[in-house]
Amino acid sequence: METKLNKKKISIPTILIYVFLCILALVYILPLVWIVLVSFKTNSEIFTSPFALPETFYLENYQVAWTAGHLGTATLNSFIVCASTLVLSMLFGSMAAFAIGRLRWKASGAMMVYFMTGMMIPVHCVLIPLFTRFTKLGLSNSLVGLILPYLTFSLPTTIFIMTGFFRSIPNELVESACMDGCTIYGIFFKICMPLAKTGLFVTGLMTFVANWNELLLAMVFISDDTKKTLPVSLSKFVGPYNTNYTQMFAAIVVAIIPTIVVYCMFSNQIVDGLTTGAVKG
Amino acid sequence: MDKLLKDKKALLFFLLPAFLLFTLILFIPICQSVYYAFCDYDALSAPVFVGLKNFKRMLLDKTMKIALKNSLFFLIFSCVSQLIMGLILAGLLTNIKKGRNLFKNIIYLPCVLSSAALGLLWMFIFSTKLGINQLLAKIGIEGPLWLMSTDGFIILPMWVITFVALWQYVGQSMMLYMAQISGIGSSLYEAAYIDGCGKVKAFRYITLPLIKPMVGTAMSLNAIGSLKFFDLIFNMTEGGPNHKTEVLATHLYTQGFEYFKYGYASAIGVVLLVLCLLTTFIINRVFKTESYEM
Repeated sequence: METKLNKKKISIPTILIYVFLCILALVYILPLVWIVLVSFKTNSEIFTSPFALPETFYLENYQVAWTAGHLGTATLNSFIVCASTLVLSMLFGSMAAFAIGRLRWKASGAMMVYFMTGMMIPVHCVLIPLFTRFTKLGLSNSLVGLILPYLTFSLPTTIFIMTGFFRSIPNELVESACMDGCTIYGIFFKICMPLAKTGLFVTGLMTFVANWNELLLAMVFISDDTKKTLPVSLSKFVGPYNTNYTQMFAAIVVAIIPTIVVYCMFSNQIVDGLTTGAVKG
Repeated sequence: MDKLLKDKKALLFFLLPAFLLFTLILFIPICQSVYYAFCDYDALSAPVFVGLKNFKRMLLDKTMKIALKNSLFFLIFSCVSQLIMGLILAGLLTNIKKGRNLFKNIIYLPCVLSSAALGLLWMFIFSTKLGINQLLAKIGIEGPLWLMSTDGFIILPMWVITFVALWQYVGQSMMLYMAQISGIGSSLYEAAYIDGCGKVKAFRYITLPLIKPMVGTAMSLNAIGSLKFFDLIFNMTEGGPNHKTEVLATHLYTQGFEYFKYGYASAIGVVLLVLCLLTTFIINRVFKTESYEM
């Protein structure tokens, strides 16, 4: 009886809302599904039947893109760059956040403001000085030259979120550790870091997503094919003189699959984390 | 305890790595960049101070005018459209019971994907003979040149790009608004419903005023994001046809790293920086409100 009543309650506006949302969801999902479908087609199929299911699953696209398009190396490079940035920014960022949020010194507020200005500055403004400097130092065309700026640009958000987490740790915990003869380094590594795990996770995901997708810096700093990261190597597949659309789509799939996997695994945390990061920023 | 937390050595240990990186890789280059903006500087010669020459040149640079126009159009359009769409979506999603998380996650998904990759995808979909136009051809309509047409004050490719950007990034605004809406106590709504207030009215008179501070945050994020906007345009049109879809960021890239006019590119960077700071300032001014008890 009750279920019947509930069913009757579904009103026309609710149905309309659901119809609207479903159409919207299709607008979001279809292009992504379509990329995957096209990546299995042959180049001629794109021109004849672009929206049908592929006739055969033509895996050669992936093979060619992976080897001839240097996609394999690019994926590896992206992983190296993202992983090192991730670890270093979590370490340095939370260390600075600990200094700002927990240690007692006069200029801590000013230091926070100093770091926060980094969030407002577009990366384009530092491109030229950085590029000339790094070329002189031999850091252009090397992954280290990419990790350094990525790391720096991830610091403000990391520091911001982690400061909040460190401040929320109860004083009593720190005090009792202090009584037991723990050093300040012990307090940071053994007490505060484990307690701020959620924050570390969130900032880590944000750093990973941002750097995995970064195009401009990578494009300017890296010209050597063996050092390119994924977003840069993508644009090679289509130009005025070659239109290997199917390979391009295979490359796109390779580039976005890791983020989609990470997103599906942690979508709720990512969404929450990115929101907290943005809200506080 | 106090002594421990005031330890200067520990302070140096914790702060120094981040501080050095930040200063060397962000702060000093910014200052240099501002200096270069007043210099004659290219790949071959050292910077020579020339005063306002680069900025004077900007006034005569036609592409610069187009880039500035496009950037401002993009800034205003994406701020407004994301505000409206974001609010509508957040309002709808907080009012449905089933599938809220599913729809939320689907709409947010493109925000975490590489805009370089998505740019290539959309370039294909909107290309002259493929994608949408293939579909239109089947029903006998000759599709427009989505990314090539140059008619009008704001040309069609710019509209296409702004809609793609809206598609990609509206999830961000939606999430922020949803987070804020879910923080509003249900007692407020209950009281309103008892007083005979409908859902739409409740949204207008309770939700909207209470999320006003968040509108400011979301909008300044949007504004900075759209001024920095580069990946999608670069992969969809590369600033073409004939530099008509150039924005500040792509213009800076072409001047700096294709023509190696470092000084001029730095000057564009300064314009970009000033615009970023200015819009953030204005938005914060407009949306600065006393916070309500919730």
